[in-house]
Amino acid sequence: MVTFQAHDGPVYSMVSTDRHLLSAGDGEVKAWLWAEILKKGCKELWRRQPPYRTSLEVPEINALLLVPKENSLILAGGDCQLHTMDLETGTFTRALWGHTDYIHCLALRERSPEVLSGGEDGAVRLWDLRTAKEVQTIEVYKHEECSRPHNGRWIGCLATDSDWMVCGGGPALTLWHLRSSTPTTIFPMRAPQKHVTFYQDLILSAGQGRCVNQWQLSGELKAQVPGSSPGLLSLSLNQQPAAPECKVLTAAGNSCRVDVFTNLGYRAFSLSF
Amino acid sequence: MAAVTDDEVIRKRLLIDGNGAGDDRRINLLVKSFIKWCNSGSQEEGYSQYQRMLSTLSQCEFSMRKTLLVYDMNLREMENYEKIYKEIECSIAGAHEKIAECKKQILQAKRIRKNRQEYDALAKVIQRHPDRHETLKELEALGKELEHLSHIKESVEDKLELRRKQFHVLLSTIHELQQTLENGEKLSEVEEAQETSMETDPKP
Repeated sequence: MVTFQAHDGPVYSMVSTDRHLLSAGDGEVKAWLWAEILKKGCKELWRRQPPYRTSLEVPEINALLLVPKENSLILAGGDCQLHTMDLETGTFTRALWGHTDYIHCLALRERSPEVLSGGEDGAVRLWDLRTAKEVQTIEVYKHEECSRPHNGRWIGCLATDSDWMVCGGGPALTLWHLRSSTPTTIFPMRAPQKHVTFYQDLILSAGQGRCVNQWQLSGELKAQVPGSSPGLLSLSLNQQPAAPECKVLTAAGNSCRVDVFTNLGYRAFSLSF
Repeated sequence: MAAVTDDEVIRKRLLIDGNGAGDDRRINLLVKSFIKWCNSGSQEEGYSQYQRMLSTLSQCEFSMRKTLLVYDMNLREMENYEKIYKEIECSIAGAHEKIAECKKQILQAKRIRKNRQEYDALAKVIQRHPDRHETLKELEALGKELEHLSHIKESVEDKLELRRKQFHVLLSTIHELQQTLENGEKLSEVEEAQETSMETDPKP
């Protein structure tokens, strides 16, 4: 197990390509080579800072997203903008404006090159990467079926499957049909969910409760698999076709343990540090 | 070379020792009794010894035949086991393939289920909206009402215009009449004034 100091402040999001690990914290994104990390080295490959409006503010970067078709990275965070950075040249190509409060999460819509972003202002915005414009806005808290005003209107988690989108957080976890912008199914989960993802025919979500919840698209709860942290903040699925044996789901949250699930029905083991 | 063959002989003897303890002794006894028989004198004893030797010989042959049969049986059992082993391997491979097939089918079925659930979700939303025929009919009815009302409005406006024009004509004629009346009065006043001044003038 390798530990090294990556950033001076907290690390808010990480993403990995085949050869690099990219991590982002307060205002900067840094890259590390996997080969070096495996050899227990800790030299950063490069670090970049997106162009902020004023040089005084150093907003945190809450979400990173890789766009493999363009070989670029999208950063979003406290300055309410989405910045795109080309991974080969390191230049910042676009800055997308529109959110009125900081951005929590990003998702990529595969078929059309669109990015969805959800933030504290309660709106999920779709951006077209080719025209660099906002295509659609869904204000989740304005829909009565899913809004929960006592929790707030922030959107904590976002996942998309090209035609459909799941989002949750302050409002209830809902499945939306993107073309018609209608909420179709509301998942009856009281606790705000922090991370959600699509997997085969299920939707996996994790949040304030102890368990990883598996939902079917019709809104039924298929299974609840308890983890070892009292609150879960992040899920991650390894779905690379190159290594089908390593298909695992990992979950981490409010404690020092990371749970690994090899079969979605039960927790296989936990790593702790 | 003698040492090598000796080793092999010892090894073979040790190997078959358990099986052939009786046989080995029997062969040694046979050899010794043969030598004794060759050296013996009397006829009867010789004959009985001869019979005994023949019986031991047949016993030896019997046990040899038994071991040969057992050896054959072992060979055939080995073949049988080989065959069964190969069959089991084939069926294992077949089962692996079936498992892979079934996994693919599961994925396909999951995709189908997902599609169905998406369809259901959309259908639920659509059902909440009213039927298209009804709304079309309502739209038609409303359109007709709108037309009817606009016709009425047009006719009312026409009537209003006509009335306005008639009133205008009436009012303008009244004004004219008033004007002519006023003009007439003024003229008659001026004439009266002129008459009185003409009357007063010719007197002096």
